[in-house]
Amino acid sequence: MSNADNLLTAAAIRKHYRMGRSVVPVLTSCDLSVRRGEFLMIMGRSGSGKSTLLHLLGALDTPDSGRISLTAGPQSPEVSVFPATERERNEMRRRWFGFVFQFYHLLPELSVLENVLMTRMVGTSISGWFGGRGAIRRDAIALLEQIGLGARLKHRPAELSGGERQRVAFARALVHKPLLLLADEPTGNLDAESGAKIMALLHDLHRSGQTIVMVTHDMQLTKSADRMLVLENGALQT
Amino acid sequence: MYKLFLTLRYLFARRIAYFAIAAVMLCTAMIVIVNSVMGGFLDKIKAKARGLLGDIVVNNNSARGFPLYGEFITDISKWPEIEAAAPVIFSYGLLSFQDTAILNTVQVNGIDLEKTYRINAFKQSLFYEKYYPGSTTLGVQQQPKLGFDPERSPVSSDSPGEMWVTLPADLLDLLAKSRAAGIEDRETVDSGVNVALRKAGLPTLPGLFEVNIEGATDDPSSDDGSVGRAGYFGDPREGIIIGRDLVAFREKDGRYRRYMQRGRMTILTLLPISDGGSVDAPIKVPLRYADDSRTGIYEIDSKTIYCDFALLQRLLLMDEGERADDSGKIPARCSQIQIKIKPGVDANKLAERLEQHYRSYLEKDLPDVREFERNLLSGIRVQTWEESQAAYIAPVEKERILVTILFAIISLVAAVLVMCILYMIVLQKTRDIGIVKSLGGSSAGVAAIFVGYGAAIGVVGAAIGGTLGYLFVIYINEIQAWLIHINPAWQVWDRSVYSFDEIPNTVRTSDFAIIVVCGILLAIFGSLAAAWRAARMQPVEALRYE
Repeated sequence: MSNADNLLTAAAIRKHYRMGRSVVPVLTSCDLSVRRGEFLMIMGRSGSGKSTLLHLLGALDTPDSGRISLTAGPQSPEVSVFPATERERNEMRRRWFGFVFQFYHLLPELSVLENVLMTRMVGTSISGWFGGRGAIRRDAIALLEQIGLGARLKHRPAELSGGERQRVAFARALVHKPLLLLADEPTGNLDAESGAKIMALLHDLHRSGQTIVMVTHDMQLTKSADRMLVLENGALQT
Repeated sequence: MYKLFLTLRYLFARRIAYFAIAAVMLCTAMIVIVNSVMGGFLDKIKAKARGLLGDIVVNNNSARGFPLYGEFITDISKWPEIEAAAPVIFSYGLLSFQDTAILNTVQVNGIDLEKTYRINAFKQSLFYEKYYPGSTTLGVQQQPKLGFDPERSPVSSDSPGEMWVTLPADLLDLLAKSRAAGIEDRETVDSGVNVALRKAGLPTLPGLFEVNIEGATDDPSSDDGSVGRAGYFGDPREGIIIGRDLVAFREKDGRYRRYMQRGRMTILTLLPISDGGSVDAPIKVPLRYADDSRTGIYEIDSKTIYCDFALLQRLLLMDEGERADDSGKIPARCSQIQIKIKPGVDANKLAERLEQHYRSYLEKDLPDVREFERNLLSGIRVQTWEESQAAYIAPVEKERILVTILFAIISLVAAVLVMCILYMIVLQKTRDIGIVKSLGGSSAGVAAIFVGYGAAIGVVGAAIGGTLGYLFVIYINEIQAWLIHINPAWQVWDRSVYSFDEIPNTVRTSDFAIIVVCGILLAIFGSLAAAWRAARMQPVEALRYE
């Protein structure tokens, strides 16, 4: 397999946290490649650094050292995710990455539709927004209808079930058509039925060509992945 | 787009923001009210002070006055910038009314009435001149008295002894003129005569006049000697204009209740000052109360009288005279020259030229100007009216600035409140900040949400506060009237104490705009700490925030 097939590459990633005077190493040396269209699952027990790794891959956080790069298309140049300036990382999150969190992290004052539209608002100027608002809204509504939330557009997150909130979070992460969807234990806070629906949604996305990196500690879920890596002692193992 | 969207959403969705809006609103309204009332007070004082002066005044700050005013006025009257000029004499004296125990210490202003009319707004301050135009004079005059008109019916059948009263014919003609011009007396409480006339549905006679009961015997045209006729009576004397608060009581509603009749004899006691600076023997002069003046400033209206310039000059020994050794003439002196200038002329530059011109007399060889006169001339100062009234206006101006600053400092409380509220919101919204950053929102963008939030609070608060403050100022007198109606003890503006009848109720547009902008800036300032914290938050830490 050539390097051009890799969407994201991480090499020698190290990360530690400071807890008062003590230093807690989380990632000691992580090397990773995410292939285009792949559904990669990263396993690990709680506190192993899965979420940290996901945040680093998605330019939400910065490692102590190492290198992360992304190649948007087979013919595209390689772009450094780390090192990169804050401005560049903001831009990458806006254009290329979509995040789904365990606790949904929806904005409580906004409706379902507004939460989804927020992703597009972040990357759009006021004039651009009012110029293309119709098309953006249509895309967002279509996506919400696709995941079964067409009747909940004006509802607030507090009025939704956990499964519905997580689907809204998926819609928010996908509405700008990211290159890579990063899901941090998306079923971790859901009952079995809702969790199954979310996994079905992930499979559908995968089938449609979406590249997905998901972290979980649930061994049951790893069966549906193309590939699974285990994070242990700060390093990834196959 | 997200910055504007979240700013507006937080503004309307977070009820706590209403407290911040209320704080900005109250502070803005408070400063608009204080600034407008104080500023209006200052404007009124300036207008009133201006009304008694010329555009430019010449003084030498000496009770002895200064000479050569006649030559000076003749010279400058030829200048194209000069509209008119008149000399004034200031002195002090005692004023009493004949047959009363009233005795007041007064400032005596000697004026040329006709020239003064041309120079300032003194004419508009006169009461009788307003309703009987052309009747006021400082020249020799008798007392006008009301008389009974035997050809007309009694006032009422209940009081058959009462008859219609009427004024002398010339005053009636003058009154008809002012009535035709729509001038009605609403500033005076009705006299007994006017109460009866009003009751009978007849036109009232503005002012207070003595009724000629005893005068029947003085009046050769009296039919039977039992009923007096309207006319002029008593010894002819020079006239005097008296500050209104010396001849009338000011009621709480701002109207005056007169207690001195027009033409009443007064005695003015003057203390002339000799060339050597000593006080000569007091001079008593009987004068007739011709009119009363109301500038609107209590300090002036309760202490000032006006008599003829030439008369006062003569009484105070300031007129032209022969030197004791027959070595020449003593030039006449005055205390001040008031000058009206033509529109568009720079008063400051002209004042400098006028002062130079006056001082040029010192360089001329004038045989009648001796050492004493030269000393008086050397103290000449020519000032604009604002400069000459600075000592009077400056304290009010300073008070206005001081009060506005004090209230502005108090308004910092609003900034601190906005700061606390926004900081609290940032703490509450920490996870939202992480979410926005995870979607690609920049630190500057997140900071802009909170600065925009502060600005939105400021705009809404300042707009509502500004509007409320404006309306409060505009209707401040109605509000006070309503408060007094509920409880008379709630009267905050006592018209018998302050110089003006009404609380100043004008809002300066420029001041209003500055206050509203400051209100907005205040709220933005309050948002900076919150914005700074929000900007510095790392997205991962914010998402983990519990």
